[in-house]
Amino acid sequence: MNSITSNTVNIAITGVGGQGVLTLSEILARAALECGFNVRVGEIHGMAQRGGHVVCTVRIGKNARGPIIDPGFAHLLVGFEPLETLREINLVKQGGCILMSSHVQYPVAVSMGHSKYPSHEEIIKNMKKYTDRIIEFDALELAVKAGSTQALNMVMLGAIIGTNLVPITKEVALNVVRTAFPKKFEKINVNATKLGFEMAQACKK
Amino acid sequence: MTKSKELLEDQPGKEILLLANEAIARGVLEAGVRIVALYPGTPSSEIGNNLTFMAPHIPNFYFEFSTNEKVALEVAGAAAVAGVRSMMVCKGPGLNVAADPFFSLSYVGVRGGLVVVVADDPSMWSSQNENDSRYYALMGNMPMMEPADPIEAKSMLLEAYKLSEKLELPVLFRTTTRVNHTRAPVKFGKILQRPNKIEFEKEPFRFVPIPSVARKRHPWLLGQIDIARELSEKSKLNFTEGKGDLGIITSGVSYNYVIEALLIMKIKAEVLKLGITHPVPEKMIIDFLSRHKQVMIVEELEPFLETHARRLAQLNKVNVEIIGKEQGIFSRTYEYSPRIVMNALNKITTRNTPINWEEIDKKTQELPELPPRPPLLCAGCPHRATYYAIRTATRGKAIYPSDIGCYTLSISSPLETADILFDMGSSITTACGLAEVTDQDIVASIGDSTFFASGLPGITNAVYNQHRICVVVLDNRTTAMTGHQPHPGTGVTGMQKEVPPLDIEEVCKGLGVKYVKTVEPFESMASLVAEVREMVKWTRENHSPAVLISKEPCALLTAAERQRAGEFPPKYYVDSEICNACKRCLNRLSCPAMYMDSETEQAIIDDTLCNLCGTCVSVCPQGAIKREETVNE
Repeated sequence: MNSITSNTVNIAITGVGGQGVLTLSEILARAALECGFNVRVGEIHGMAQRGGHVVCTVRIGKNARGPIIDPGFAHLLVGFEPLETLREINLVKQGGCILMSSHVQYPVAVSMGHSKYPSHEEIIKNMKKYTDRIIEFDALELAVKAGSTQALNMVMLGAIIGTNLVPITKEVALNVVRTAFPKKFEKINVNATKLGFEMAQACKK
Repeated sequence: MTKSKELLEDQPGKEILLLANEAIARGVLEAGVRIVALYPGTPSSEIGNNLTFMAPHIPNFYFEFSTNEKVALEVAGAAAVAGVRSMMVCKGPGLNVAADPFFSLSYVGVRGGLVVVVADDPSMWSSQNENDSRYYALMGNMPMMEPADPIEAKSMLLEAYKLSEKLELPVLFRTTTRVNHTRAPVKFGKILQRPNKIEFEKEPFRFVPIPSVARKRHPWLLGQIDIARELSEKSKLNFTEGKGDLGIITSGVSYNYVIEALLIMKIKAEVLKLGITHPVPEKMIIDFLSRHKQVMIVEELEPFLETHARRLAQLNKVNVEIIGKEQGIFSRTYEYSPRIVMNALNKITTRNTPINWEEIDKKTQELPELPPRPPLLCAGCPHRATYYAIRTATRGKAIYPSDIGCYTLSISSPLETADILFDMGSSITTACGLAEVTDQDIVASIGDSTFFASGLPGITNAVYNQHRICVVVLDNRTTAMTGHQPHPGTGVTGMQKEVPPLDIEEVCKGLGVKYVKTVEPFESMASLVAEVREMVKWTRENHSPAVLISKEPCALLTAAERQRAGEFPPKYYVDSEICNACKRCLNRLSCPAMYMDSETEQAIIDDTLCNLCGTCVSVCPQGAIKREETVNE
């Protein structure tokens, strides 16, 4: 946090429609509220959800009034997919942090041969023009380990908490996760959150 | 995730995270609203999505998914005329549909409070235009309020009902996407009881606006707006904050951006925030303009407040520089953000913006061109199979009028079956017009919910005027795009009651369509293509409309059903021994669950995304796509 943002932590979360970006944003914000912070979430619904690019915002802190994070204002850019993370790279502030799952989901334009998916090196090289702080790991692998590919977003939640960049404790986050889903998915989602947390903590070192 | 059950809790003071749409649904309880009628439309959809599950648990409350917005406003309007608090909800283009009753309602007025919630969509995240609904308030003489966030969405709604009843006029409650789809901590208030049934007291020479009545009502209405202006002057919803040489007038979501911009740039200014934007508090604005040498107007879309400010300054000879859209400082297109306000502040104060956005923009422009990822028909969407068949049967040469729903996404390559679209129901009627001036075959497509909302007059027109058009009704058994609301064909109501469903085939026959057939798109691709061919041939020969109903539930519903039941049906896979990498499946279907192996160039099915429709099996000329025989997992 610095004078520019005056006590507000801006988190931009991006991915592909259907990956659980919206759900993650809401859970993260609930946890922030639970920890006693003012919070705003910006979502886009409808047309934007159908397998297309999705971006949500979570803003934590006293001065968060509107939902929007302008370019260069995100302390943390969370990406569920490398290409979609790069697409929103302009949001990250100088020296901000990128938290990204490395699992690739090819857009149809690539499958049809109309367009080429950038190489991993190219993606990282371009990201580094904005910041050197990149935490990258395969979140889908951890979701599968936790018990379901659908727990991908909870892996990312754990990882966000694990970066120590948001003022939310692991305990509060886990409590919110426990109450947010039907009982039968509780174990998978809690495990996913823990795995994500540990991964981010390990990556930071 | 926010359960509609939570919105029902009788716990004043409890604070939870709500979308403005959820806060409005909660506000319905706290304002003692007796009836809500609406047709779903994003960005307003979650209001109805929550109310439909809350409704059966609220005493003396009625909620309906009306067939369209005009119907909804007439249903809610009549209830308000009768004397109970009522609400109608729509998106911006939905208010255009409801414009006819809208204008009559302010003439006749209401006895119980009536609030018309309209959700505009700057930047057109999910709409066909970004028209500014505020002009409806001006043209129809309806008082208007504009909340800035979810907190105001609820608190202001309660004020809207009080104002409506004080003036006996409906109130337009105008939101925008960034209000509707923002979450913020909202505090619950007390739940108000609703009356059961009331007696309708007749007053025909007020409520039937024949010319002699309407002539009396118009001056009455203008008089009410004068009273409303006085209330607007005194209302706490219009207030000033801060001090400084610079003045800023703003409303709605832009208010947040103004406050954030001033904080970040450490600029002192006096802000006039308007919650009631029709009628505007004229004296308050004149005083404000007189206090400042420079006043900046920050509002998305049209210069609505700006025109008021310029008008009032001119009338009252106030010497002030008004800065807004007229000088090009602000744009009339797309949504705003703090950045836009900061750039404007930079221009008029020469104070620097906190970061150099031009530098960031330049850096971003230098990035390699990224593969696009637009929204698509989902994996397993039945529309993909139907459009593949339409395109194959007509070899891409017919004209394809489209309509409003998920299926408009067929505009993209390779399906490319959307050629013309105006509004809800226009697939059928644009087909009628095209049929008279071209010799090309015409295959229009329309969804089931849209068919009931606005398709029926088009069908009637085609039968009456004998237009040679093919209409394909994509019946996926729900209103999919806005979040799976029921409609007249589903057999479920807004009160979650089971009722006899309307049968599209019977409806078309009843309207006089001679050629009506129903097919299941996942049954056989060959026969689906043959059906489309036959229909096209029939319309050519018989010079009248034909309807083909392609019936298959939305893939998202099917997938959710499977998950609930804990079923894991056998998966599809590409047999790499047989696949010769011709890429026909990839190139002709654009299914999000299929991708190309970069080494072998063979197709691969991502089984975490596949929704098991099997359409790709019939598209593969090699027979390389197969289904596992045994169930795994």
